Amino acid sequence: MSRDDVAAAQGALLRAVLAGADVPPGFDPEVVRVEAAALLGKRRRIVRDIDPETADALGDRFAELFAEYARGNPRRSGSRFREDAAAFAEWAVEHGHLPRARRRWWRKER
Amino acid sequence: MGEHLGVGIGWRSEIDLTVERMQGVDFVEVVAENIHRDHLPESLRVLRARGLPVLPHAVSLSLGGAEPLDTDRVEHLAAVADLLDAPLVSDHVCFVRAGGLDSGHLMPVPRTRDALEVLVANVTEARSILGRPLALENIAALLEWPDAELTEARFLRELVERTDCLLLVDVANMWANAKNLGADPVALLDGLPLERLAYVHVAGGMEVDGVYHDTHAHAVPQGVLDLLGELCDRVRPPGVLLERDDHYPADTVLADELAAIRAVVDR
Repeated sequence: MSRDDVAAAQGALLRAVLAGADVPPGFDPEVVRVEAAALLGKRRRIVRDIDPETADALGDRFAELFAEYARGNPRRSGSRFREDAAAFAEWAVEHGHLPRARRRWWRKER
Repeated sequence: MGEHLGVGIGWRSEIDLTVERMQGVDFVEVVAENIHRDHLPESLRVLRARGLPVLPHAVSLSLGGAEPLDTDRVEHLAAVADLLDAPLVSDHVCFVRAGGLDSGHLMPVPRTRDALEVLVANVTEARSILGRPLALENIAALLEWPDAELTEARFLRELVERTDCLLLVDVANMWANAKNLGADPVALLDGLPLERLAYVHVAGGMEVDGVYHDTHAHAVPQGVLDLLGELCDRVRPPGVLLERDDHYPADTVLADELAAIRAVVDR
């Protein structure tokens, strides 16, 4: 096994816990599910802290919609949580969960 | 063994005044990624002016990651350490980035020879940039890699001995791994090179659906203090630090937790 092999194994595990890819051989699928839920929960808490307005506007649907967004948009290396929060707010608008008028010019992320 | 630190608490901007006012705080730790490399928050300047050690603690170096080390992050940690005139810095034995993705949290590495080689190489490179002692922390994991070749104690021992690092022992993480993975925390304490101990982390958590989550947002369980006691039976720790990151309780509750920690260390 080489550094590349370790990198590939780590990449496969992250794709499973962050993006719903197949569980790599040898891992307990139930434990991988628990890990995925824990990582999603942490990400959701941070995004809510950064942009409580979007979370509040979505109300009871926030958690479910954030999970849907997160599955399709795993965080990229080098990205910031602030960008994640802005991307989620944009996603919510694009998918019709929030009216576009809500986005005000002075909150626009650069 | 690291230099004497005493009892401390994790400095967070949400509790900066609490930490400044609290009795019995001998040192603090700050998350390096939350600090600008060219200027300190006023509260940390106040603490430094009093002579309190402020130790930068990194969470994003991904020292166990098999991709090339992100030296910008290491340089940031070094710059923050310079700004704080810190005697040592720390990060975790984990990876956070792989395959272009960022987990946003500390992920365990496989306990294999190959993964150990990756860590040794990354830590050696990081140390050459940092130019000051680096302490490595054991993490709490919810999952385990298959086909481990080394025990956690052996893995950590070889890592810190080959890279000449210090140990940051988190007894709350050991407690979590005992609950969730069936790990034996006493065997881990017995196998670790505690003569390299820099300081100890203590934190609280909570159990949800049979899984213990090391949240840093709940009270410190008695089991974690008991493990601290086990550690103190083996070595007098240079420092013990309480980590609290969310759902901040009343100042008196935090002060009581620090007092409980001190009682275990001093008994």
